[in-house]
Amino acid sequence: MHINASAVLQKNITLVFHHQINNKELVLGDSVTAPSGETITIERFKYYVSNFSVTDTKGKTIRLKDAYFLVDESEPESKKINLSLPDMTIHSINFLLGVDSIRNVSGIQTGALDPLKGMFWTWNSGYIMAKMEGVSEKVQQPGHRFTYHIGGFRHGINTARMITLTLPQNNQTPDQIFIVANLNQWFKSVHTISIAKTPVCHTPGALAMQFADNYGTMFSITPIQ
Amino acid sequence: MRPAKYICSLVILIVTCVGWITIDNRYFRPRPVKFIVPKGWPQPAYDFSKNPLTEEGIALGKQLFYDTRLSRDGNFSCGTCHQQFSAFATYDHPLSHGIDNAQTTRNAPGLFNLAWQKEFMWDGGINHLDLQPLAPITAENEMGETIENVIGKLRADKEYRKLFKAAFGDEFINTQRMGKAISQFVLQLVSSNSKYDKVMRGEASFILPEQLGYDIFKKKCVSCHTEPMFTDYSYRNTGITLDPFLKDMGRMKITGNPKDSLAFKVPSLRNVAMSFPYGHDGRFFSLMNVFEHYRKNMVVNAHTDSLLSKRMALSNFEIGQLTAFLYTLTDSVFLKDPRFAAPGFENNGKPPMDIHQ
Repeated sequence: MHINASAVLQKNITLVFHHQINNKELVLGDSVTAPSGETITIERFKYYVSNFSVTDTKGKTIRLKDAYFLVDESEPESKKINLSLPDMTIHSINFLLGVDSIRNVSGIQTGALDPLKGMFWTWNSGYIMAKMEGVSEKVQQPGHRFTYHIGGFRHGINTARMITLTLPQNNQTPDQIFIVANLNQWFKSVHTISIAKTPVCHTPGALAMQFADNYGTMFSITPIQ
Repeated sequence: MRPAKYICSLVILIVTCVGWITIDNRYFRPRPVKFIVPKGWPQPAYDFSKNPLTEEGIALGKQLFYDTRLSRDGNFSCGTCHQQFSAFATYDHPLSHGIDNAQTTRNAPGLFNLAWQKEFMWDGGINHLDLQPLAPITAENEMGETIENVIGKLRADKEYRKLFKAAFGDEFINTQRMGKAISQFVLQLVSSNSKYDKVMRGEASFILPEQLGYDIFKKKCVSCHTEPMFTDYSYRNTGITLDPFLKDMGRMKITGNPKDSLAFKVPSLRNVAMSFPYGHDGRFFSLMNVFEHYRKNMVVNAHTDSLLSKRMALSNFEIGQLTAFLYTLTDSVFLKDPRFAAPGFENNGKPPMDIHQ
């Protein structure tokens, strides 16, 4: 349904993303033990979020203004996203992890979606929805590097995932919502994925879908920090 | 006659003023260009409403197309491998040459009638014309550059800031504007003035071998090389074998579907006489090699296109007539059109002189 934004009172909130592995804040370049028992060093971690909407306690969903954000662990400011919400009691906040198919087929986009951000495949048009790169000793690849560029937007191989996060119910929408992305979920949740066995994912397809199913479960809302 | 003189002066004054206003507008507003669809052709696939053609946009696109600074070492432009005298393919090269003595992995296709094409590359991996230049720019064996660096170089250049302002209203330069400008130029590359086109328009007539060749073509070739584009833009396995070095699986690389193994886009046959070698990796040096492939050398297997399951019967006589017909698809107006020529080559449009002769 269409709601005239100017007719609804707006409330500005900030989503603050925290990236955690083994329940500790992710630090790029630090060695940690992955859920598979493998020692890994994550060097890059970024993903798109878009298509925000909010659902009130009666189940009515209102789409927010079209916006696309690239959350990048190496850029702290990118981990804070300002949104303008209708001033109502919000039951849950919904967003797409990734980029919708329309923006994958409409030529060159701008802003966060500019292909120069390195999150776009030039040889097989489409966005990389999420990217994780790093090093693990057991990986039989140059420099022991694992590279996960997860993308694909077509039916059957769509790696964008709809995320719904329910807010703690205290009849008040906070100014800040803290969202944790738990990286352990990438390797052990819906599917169990061994880094040593599958160190590279650079194309849409079955493996990318497994990662997508997994990262679709990585977000949760934490109590205010 | 005084009133006549008065009216006359007034008219001259108005014409001069209007002239000045028009000149002023030329500096401040891009001049729209209408895209002309040749008579009897289908409507283009490209959405011009998202990228309205203007003289300034086309001029900027041409500048970018021929600018070698778009490559990492400053040696390669789009026009390096897409040469006008070869219908914007690479003349006489199975694979083109890229940065640092690299070879590309596929035969550079000719660039023309792109407004009618929905997917690009031999495997159709690119889904929008504006995105196409990003692939060769970033390919390590082609122009070897990053998009970020290219945009940085353009932003640092005063001349480009002026050209972007003329085309888009302000000096802002980003990937989208660069892509749109290059599209505006390459969309102009319409090839519709071959002898075949003139015959279809009733302005010329085929000589006997050409007419016989056209009749054979309509029987044996036209189901894939559909008129008037001379391709149906489908991907087909024509019984080629896998090159052990390139290991190029074609369309399967994009779809992941084994049915698309070794399937490549049906190329247009327009200007075919000028764009040898042929095939996705340039493995066929001459038209004769292509005919020999279809009648003798094809390897038919489960993935081979059903229209070619029994290869293609072609007599020597038929090959001769077909060749005569295919030569009528050469559009010499297009090949020499000064609007498309590299800066400095507008007046000849001919291949460089062969110094070895």
